[in-house]
Amino acid sequence: MELLSVTDLVKKFGDTNAVNGITFNIEEGRCVSLLGSNGAGKTTALKMLSGLLEPTSGSIYFQGTKQRDIRKYIGYLPQYPAFFNWMSGKEFLIFAAELAKVNRKEAEKRSEELLERVGLLDARKRKIGGYSGGMKQRLGLAQALIHRPKLLILDEPVSALDPLGRREVLDMMREIKQETTILFSTHVLHDAQEISDDILIMNNGEIAISGELETVMEQYRKPIIRIEFESAESLEWLNRIEIYSFVSVVNIQGNVASIELTDMEYGRQILLEEIVNQRLPIRKFELVQTTLEDLFMEVVKA
Amino acid sequence: MTQWSVLYRKEISEMIRNFKIIWIPLVFILLGVMQPVSSYYMPEILDNFGGLPEGAVIDIPVPTGAEVLIGVLSNYGMLGVLILVLSAMGVVSAERQNGAAGMVMSKPVPHSSYILSKWAGLVTITVLSLFIGYAASWYYTNLLFEPVAPELIFQSFAIYSVWLIFVLTLTLFFSTVMKGTGSVAFITILVVAVISTVTSIIENKLKWSPSTLTGHTGYLLQSGELQSSFLPAFLTTVALIFLFLIFTIQIFKHKEILE
Repeated sequence: MELLSVTDLVKKFGDTNAVNGITFNIEEGRCVSLLGSNGAGKTTALKMLSGLLEPTSGSIYFQGTKQRDIRKYIGYLPQYPAFFNWMSGKEFLIFAAELAKVNRKEAEKRSEELLERVGLLDARKRKIGGYSGGMKQRLGLAQALIHRPKLLILDEPVSALDPLGRREVLDMMREIKQETTILFSTHVLHDAQEISDDILIMNNGEIAISGELETVMEQYRKPIIRIEFESAESLEWLNRIEIYSFVSVVNIQGNVASIELTDMEYGRQILLEEIVNQRLPIRKFELVQTTLEDLFMEVVKA
Repeated sequence: MTQWSVLYRKEISEMIRNFKIIWIPLVFILLGVMQPVSSYYMPEILDNFGGLPEGAVIDIPVPTGAEVLIGVLSNYGMLGVLILVLSAMGVVSAERQNGAAGMVMSKPVPHSSYILSKWAGLVTITVLSLFIGYAASWYYTNLLFEPVAPELIFQSFAIYSVWLIFVLTLTLFFSTVMKGTGSVAFITILVVAVISTVTSIIENKLKWSPSTLTGHTGYLLQSGELQSSFLPAFLTTVALIFLFLIFTIQIFKHKEILE
């Protein structure tokens, strides 16, 4: 079932269009990741969905009906969650619950539940001012879930965390995914690939690619030869092979080159021969499939 | 429990935790008590600071109770207003800047509830501080000078509260419109000063100006009755408070909250 559907959403700041007419659907029960480089308009889009920013134009449908204010269905975690530092973690959760019209008794129960779930039960009476970045992020997740929202919107939930904190939040998201629809933005492609069902890739305020992760990957999958060199000296050779008709794109990152081929069999043969003939110092030569990262790079550079 | 009362309770507990609920009334008590005490001990104070030249005869008239209380209110009008504006300048702008307002508004909270809870919090601390400080100065005036009728105290307190509420409504307005907390205080003080100055220069034409309320409290204390121009001034002030609250809510609705 369709949970959220957005048509032609636009946000202008002065002359610039931060979000330039995006249209997409989110199915109930899915975990959707919103990808894009910095400044692509991800945060602006999420803010409009969570009611913090008024769209310049466009409409938002929730469960089939057009809505102006969908805040009661949504749990939102901003990129930099801010709290009242003088409150304790538990006080803040009860406060957030009551703002979402959960009654006091239920708020009390629900906040204990969530504190346990995000691993803050021991810190519940401490002032938020003394929490670490990871703890604040987890508290932010708890406050977003407090009123049992139908859609959880997370803006860069793991970007600011250390590897351990990232792992914790991702595990929590995987758990939450079982009961709630999630839309989260990230620029860590690995995370998107790991837990999302669908992806949306934004570029310059527009949606460049959207769809089920598997389908999108399948659709854009291309064979690639990845060569890792001992050093970055072989640049000259890489520039030369670009003119071959079976080579479509050469991407160079440090001493690793990704070469997209139109004819795999023939290309592999020729490239290997050249490497041997010219005594190029290679460390690795492998045939791989395009990853989400390659797809992302292609979209963003285009 | 409405969202307004949840937010209002948060405002009050915030003021308790950061001790605002103690220090602002303390400042008002200090400002209020200083006036009668310093008037009473003026001769001794002059003596202590080297006294007067030999042979100079200065006859300091003993002020009436009303005059002392007018002095107290004029202290509140200067330093009291300054303290109130400085303590209230970040009321919305600081929360908007650090993102806490965004956290609140991502819940289904009406924009009016947010602004009105802030306003109610400011009114509470202001009226409380004025009441305590004014009562303390009344006590010392009775003790050191002459008794002043309690009903006059209550009436002048009520009128003066309306003026202070007007000032803090302006502070709330600028705190919502502008970003930097320092500039909020500056602009508010400037606007209040301009209103007061312009009103005192062309007083006959601005009989309804909010700042005439301070003059009305003085007249009331001295004569025991209200001037005929009190009602228009009172009504204008209340109407302006109301209007500014509506503006504030509308502007808050259309601002990007999480910046």
